[in-house]
Amino acid sequence: MNSYFVDSDTWDEMYSNNELRHQYKNVVEFMLQLSIDELNKKEEMAKQLFMSQGVTFTVYSSGEGIEKIFPFDIVPRIITSVEWAHIEKGIAQRLRALNLFLKDVYHTQFIIKDKVVPAQMVYSCQHYLREMHKFPVPYDIYVHIAGIDLIRNNDGSFYILEDNLRTPSGVSYMLENREITKRIFPDLLPKNKVRSVMEYPTLLRRNLMSLSPRQTTNPTIVVLTPGMYNSAYFEHTTLARLMGVELVEGRDLVVDNHKVYMKTTLGLQQVDVIYRRVDDDFLDPLVFNPESSLGVSGIMSAYRKGNVAIVNAVGNGVADDKAIYSYVPQMIRYYMNEEPILKNVPTYQLGNADERDYVFSNIEKMVIKKTNESGGYGMLMGSACSQEEIEKYVTGVMTDPRQFIAQPIINLSSSPCYMNGVLTPRRVDLRPYALCSPNGIEIVPGGLTRVALREGSLVVNSSQGGGSKDTWVLSD
Amino acid sequence: MLSRVADSLYWMSRYMERSDGIIRMLKVNYASSQESVMMSANGSNRSVLQHMVSNKENPASIINNIIIARENARSGQDHIPRELWQCMNEFYHDIQNKNLKDLLQKEDPITILDNLHKHCTIYNGTVDMTMMRGEGNSFMSIGKYLERSLQVGDILAMRFNESDTPDESKKLVEHMVLNGNFPRSIIYSINRLQRYFERLRSEKNTEAYNKLNFMIGELHSRVRYSTADSIMRQGLNQYLARIKEDLYNIANALNHHYFAYSL
Repeated sequence: MNSYFVDSDTWDEMYSNNELRHQYKNVVEFMLQLSIDELNKKEEMAKQLFMSQGVTFTVYSSGEGIEKIFPFDIVPRIITSVEWAHIEKGIAQRLRALNLFLKDVYHTQFIIKDKVVPAQMVYSCQHYLREMHKFPVPYDIYVHIAGIDLIRNNDGSFYILEDNLRTPSGVSYMLENREITKRIFPDLLPKNKVRSVMEYPTLLRRNLMSLSPRQTTNPTIVVLTPGMYNSAYFEHTTLARLMGVELVEGRDLVVDNHKVYMKTTLGLQQVDVIYRRVDDDFLDPLVFNPESSLGVSGIMSAYRKGNVAIVNAVGNGVADDKAIYSYVPQMIRYYMNEEPILKNVPTYQLGNADERDYVFSNIEKMVIKKTNESGGYGMLMGSACSQEEIEKYVTGVMTDPRQFIAQPIINLSSSPCYMNGVLTPRRVDLRPYALCSPNGIEIVPGGLTRVALREGSLVVNSSQGGGSKDTWVLSD
Repeated sequence: MLSRVADSLYWMSRYMERSDGIIRMLKVNYASSQESVMMSANGSNRSVLQHMVSNKENPASIINNIIIARENARSGQDHIPRELWQCMNEFYHDIQNKNLKDLLQKEDPITILDNLHKHCTIYNGTVDMTMMRGEGNSFMSIGKYLERSLQVGDILAMRFNESDTPDESKKLVEHMVLNGNFPRSIIYSINRLQRYFERLRSEKNTEAYNKLNFMIGELHSRVRYSTADSIMRQGLNQYLARIKEDLYNIANALNHHYFAYSL
């Protein structure tokens, strides 16, 4: 504990001015009672639990699959009820605006005509799909499930880092991490009045049921997975099991006369709602990528005829594009006449020559990202790269600058992690999961806290050596 | 139930039953090798064990059986209880243990095989205690007893010794083929196969059901109305070969009528 040094320019979740924040008191007290051996044992136990429950992803190297667990840090990340109320309000507001935006760009396009968002910005986005034009999605909901990423700057205020509106993943880790905490820290959850996250599958199932186009008491809901070699396959099975619905692959489905059916041991059975974890591009080889073997031929025609509901809607990528991101505050003002509750990180469009020049001359303070990538791929951290790497990247940018944005490097907040017998600060972000149904927006109190396990690193993506923590939201 | 999932559960169960049988056989063989007067070159028993347990190059090894069983479990993961998935994982991680090869060389093989076999027992107990008695369970049971009938038939055909006295042979056949109370006899397995298949009866798929029901019923009757004398008269090997052929036909028909999802 004595060796816990917080970087002076960083917001720490546990300490302020060398004083323990009150929300962490119980946890720290509990950990101080334990010897290092006991804590190590708990860490080992967490690892074993993930292994034996098969909460793993497979890394293929030299032809042999190696099972790895997503690194888990035993110290929870704690959010107070006041902080949570603020986050909840901000995300709900943002999600409402994004749904309105999607309806607008695929129909009347007022926001383009009123020159709030430039037409060129929308049409140059790879994920803007003409196939969705003038198609009224049920209840005007495009984003049913959002995983919006938040970070905390050095003044402690929350910023939106990115909107994930297509197939956000990680929610199973929110659920699994909580299960692990129950095992390694007995009684600590009720003692701290931590709010439960376990109703997530129930809420999701209820929302999916409400979307069934057929008026039937027991609609058929399925989760569509790319298959067991997908890195999120564990999550797909978990969600299907917890919701009590079928987990299907593209080859299990067939479209006949604009209706979707699944192949069962008793013949074909009509499917009403599809929660798909397959990207737009692979969904229907007749409409999108003809090479796709993960999708279902004809599913888009069934969708457009209104015979099946698809969740999230197709074409959402235009709203979580990293260049469109910078217009979200204007969207909130334009559609809702409200001030944004959660701030955006300042974003420079490299498609714009002035902004590009500014970015290139301050490149050591910038992070440059591809607008349509996720998972930390295709990214350049100006401060951590050699001159050569930067030059190579800049050449890449110049071939199509619209596909890149830059943001000043934000000093993510730090949170204590248990490493080699001591608590040390590591940078974290937060991804809460918001559900949008005809009845409104609900956000399960919790989420996935991702943590950059390497010292000093600001990149939390699991593909770049990140781990996760259980995330506690306290009730009053 | 999805055809693909039914297929996965059926094969998961077959591979688990197969592993169970192989481990039992390895144990018995090793024990009897210790009494054999014709001891081959020193240590060769051990290398057979390694080959059959942990050699990834050998498609029939336990390790490969468990890998495939687990892959099938993974693809039907939302249809099996969590406890069952956990027990397959533990088996998988145990058999992947890098030391296993060394241990088989140095330690008492019976202890190691017993430890591996415990996983099979836990698997069977977990299925029994936690699996919903629905379609999934029926397909798993069908796979299990089909596999067991095949395996018992094969072991019997391999082990049957022409030089045994007629009396000994008859006793063996009575026990291994015709004893309905012995859970590893052929008649017991076919009884179970028939019982679990009958649970699949549904108005939606009558044609397929009737066809398979006929095939299983025919096989069942033939075994049920055999005697040790009648079997010995026609020759045990021919008798077993006929059963094997029938079982293969049943497996193919199941595949065609219930699992063929890549239409």
